[in-house]
Amino acid sequence: MELAKAIPSTWCPGCGDFGVLAAVKKAAVEAKIPPHELVLVGGIGCSGGIHNFIEVNGLHALHGRLLPQAVGVKLANPGLTVVAAGGDGDGYAIGMGHFMHAFKKNASFLYIVMNNETYGLTKGQASPTSQIGYEGNVEHPFDAILTALSIPTPAFIARGFSGDPKAMVQILVEALQFNRSSRGYAFVEDLSPCVTYNDTYKLWREKVVDVAKLPGYDPTDRKAMFKLCLETMESGRIPIGVMHRPKAETAADVALELKLLPDRIGPAQSPIALDANRDAYAKLLTAVG
Amino acid sequence: MTTPESKALPVASEAGPGQTRPVRDLADVAVMIGGQGGDGTLTVSDLLGRYFRAKGLYVYTSRNVLSRIRGGHADASVRGSREPIAAMKPSVELLVAFDKEAVDVGRPELTDDGAILFDSSVFTVDLPNAYGFPFATLAGGQLGAPIYKNTAAYGAISVMMGFDAPSTRAVIESRFQRRSPEALEKNLRALEIGRKAATEWGGANAIHRWQVLEGDAKDLVLTTGNQAVALGFVVGGGRFFAGYPITPATEIMEYLMRYLPAFHGVVRQAEDELAAINMVIGAAYAGVRAMTSTSGPGLSLMTEGIGHAGAAELPIVVADCQRVGPSTGEPTRHEQSDLVHLANLGHGEFPRFIFAPGTMDDCFFLTVDALNLAEKWRAPVILLLDQALCQNTVSAPRFTLDKVHVERPNLLSAEEIARLPAYKAYLHGPEGRSAYIPPGTPGVHAQITGNEHDEWGHVSVNPVNRLKMMTKRMGKLEKARPELPPPRLYGDPAARIGLIGYGSTWGPIREAQERLAAGGVPTRFYQARTLFPVPTESLDPFLAGVDMAYVIEHNYTGQFARLIREHLPQHHAKLRSIIKVDGFSFRSPEIVAAVRGP
Repeated sequence: MELAKAIPSTWCPGCGDFGVLAAVKKAAVEAKIPPHELVLVGGIGCSGGIHNFIEVNGLHALHGRLLPQAVGVKLANPGLTVVAAGGDGDGYAIGMGHFMHAFKKNASFLYIVMNNETYGLTKGQASPTSQIGYEGNVEHPFDAILTALSIPTPAFIARGFSGDPKAMVQILVEALQFNRSSRGYAFVEDLSPCVTYNDTYKLWREKVVDVAKLPGYDPTDRKAMFKLCLETMESGRIPIGVMHRPKAETAADVALELKLLPDRIGPAQSPIALDANRDAYAKLLTAVG
Repeated sequence: MTTPESKALPVASEAGPGQTRPVRDLADVAVMIGGQGGDGTLTVSDLLGRYFRAKGLYVYTSRNVLSRIRGGHADASVRGSREPIAAMKPSVELLVAFDKEAVDVGRPELTDDGAILFDSSVFTVDLPNAYGFPFATLAGGQLGAPIYKNTAAYGAISVMMGFDAPSTRAVIESRFQRRSPEALEKNLRALEIGRKAATEWGGANAIHRWQVLEGDAKDLVLTTGNQAVALGFVVGGGRFFAGYPITPATEIMEYLMRYLPAFHGVVRQAEDELAAINMVIGAAYAGVRAMTSTSGPGLSLMTEGIGHAGAAELPIVVADCQRVGPSTGEPTRHEQSDLVHLANLGHGEFPRFIFAPGTMDDCFFLTVDALNLAEKWRAPVILLLDQALCQNTVSAPRFTLDKVHVERPNLLSAEEIARLPAYKAYLHGPEGRSAYIPPGTPGVHAQITGNEHDEWGHVSVNPVNRLKMMTKRMGKLEKARPELPPPRLYGDPAARIGLIGYGSTWGPIREAQERLAAGGVPTRFYQARTLFPVPTESLDPFLAGVDMAYVIEHNYTGQFARLIREHLPQHHAKLRSIIKVDGFSFRSPEIVAAVRGP
């Protein structure tokens, strides 16, 4: 059967998002996810077109709304592997409310934010992560990793860098395996330079530091990791690596889809033909007051 | 439907001290109970509704509450009738007042020979037709808690209305048996306190006495539009619901939280309406029948998502439980003012279908229709409800599965999928709609987007493709038209006066028709159940057959009348609007008066 093909990317040559696309492809293969079971939910912005450049199921969401759409997909069919991917404007500006609540919900899906510290598609305005001074920005840059670490949920949290594609593949493989074993939500930020409006490759290459190599690194200890990341940032560096790898789950830490659907049969698996439900419906209607 | 007048004989002033008062028969009775929020006005209303129901009467209850948890004036009205009803009675026989304000609010609602029953523990009413009993003091003294005053009041009402003692008591048992034995026992004692007080009434004026007549209504349920929509959603195959609490829509979510888990369904309370509609979109994308419910302010936020569903061709159902707008408006009050917004909703242009249930039966079946048609045509369907329809309780025939059909003509079987040479999610098929294969189907993947796209679902700005896609999407409005819920027509088919309405105005309009017919003014009533696309195919002949038509609705500008004028300009001059925007439902005399003219 002929199916929707990957189309040529619309990204500028050298865009950091290519690193994420390549890493997602490799990680999906390594995690042995059949294409029909993988849903890529794209945001709006350059990065949000990622689902067009790979031959899997694509759902192109509204600007800022990819997280609730991803949650809807996952809860409707818990058998799917769901990856939401968008930019920093999408996730940290217009989508900020959903960003916070995605941790709180803890459904098993992966959210990748391609952070380039600018609005590339609208030609270089300041974004929530822009440094003070960038395009006249006077607001403080937002840090998603510190925010994520400050929300006490059992999420997997990591940051990668498009300049280090090998590490990024490793992070995504771990995140997808985390999701596919129904451990809950995984959030990965990728430092993805915009070569046209905010080319930070050189700067970031100098500043990134793998947290795993720092003294005191313990990704099961949220408090220690918050301190480690904050101190790294205060010293002018950018922490990358796995920031939170939760310990074995407690009952409260169970992923949302398992709390709601303990037998792993979801709405998509529930028969809706009248004949399959006649007795149960009759019982429901008889009980009406 | 008829509204028999009570066989009333004497009026209050004719009964003097020491006289007994004739007992008047009532085939249609209404009681209003008012007090502060938390006084238990709803409890009294509920007890009376249970009694009426047990006696074979049709029941209708409405409530008037403020948007706060406790305090402030609150009242509830309950009506029992031997004939089917779907509206509050134009005036009430008895006003039960737990505070002074309830007397001020309720007196205008009383019939000329009506009575007031008040709690004399804290205030007094100096009127010849007002009877005071110290319910709170008696309940506080004998039962240890003044709140039993509401059951005591029910006891007094039972005496005044001629209730039989065993059935009166059975109502208390049915209501409180699931609470503690202590609660049941104290309520039974409170009942006796009230009965004794009324029986031994020794005031200057003889107390009002009625005999509520029994009816033969059987096998009815007492339900609300919100419950009927929730039930329709389940049997229509709905399996995913996300919403955000908002009056008067919240009960749909609450019912589904109870109903759906048994069917492997999911209900989520979202962080806001943006999340709710987008979760529903995600579920619809996954091939699951999905719905949200909201009211004005939430609808404004959901507008973005509904447009996305229209563009991405994803089937979603949105129940809009209208309340007074704009902005926060009046959360607990009734209006029908979202129609023009919904007909034009969103930036850009996309097809949407708007259904308007008017009865409990409609709420149930049109929800099923909405799910079927949304999926078949891959487009958003809006169920346009209103506060009175959503929250007032009404006697309705038991819901059955006889007429429920779950149809999925737009989904392909495994065999059909295996035979497909290609799967294009936005194929230009001859039927004007594209078959859908949900993600997770082995061997298939596809692209879905709200951007303009080609047949493969890839973003496209090609002008030829753009025209093709717009034509295809907008064409759904006409192609689906024969399948949309038809209107119901009532009254005299030869009448030259037409009435047009939708939603909860069904009840008051039907009563107004009876009253008008009795007064020699025959009418025809077009109950619109599809509002958009404007059902010109049935409205045109209806309007052609009348000299004038009154469009009866709860908004300031006559929104449905405006839409009809836009689509059927040839009937422009025949249309008149009867509108009401004070936050309350029409009562039939208001419609009668407007039709009869000055």
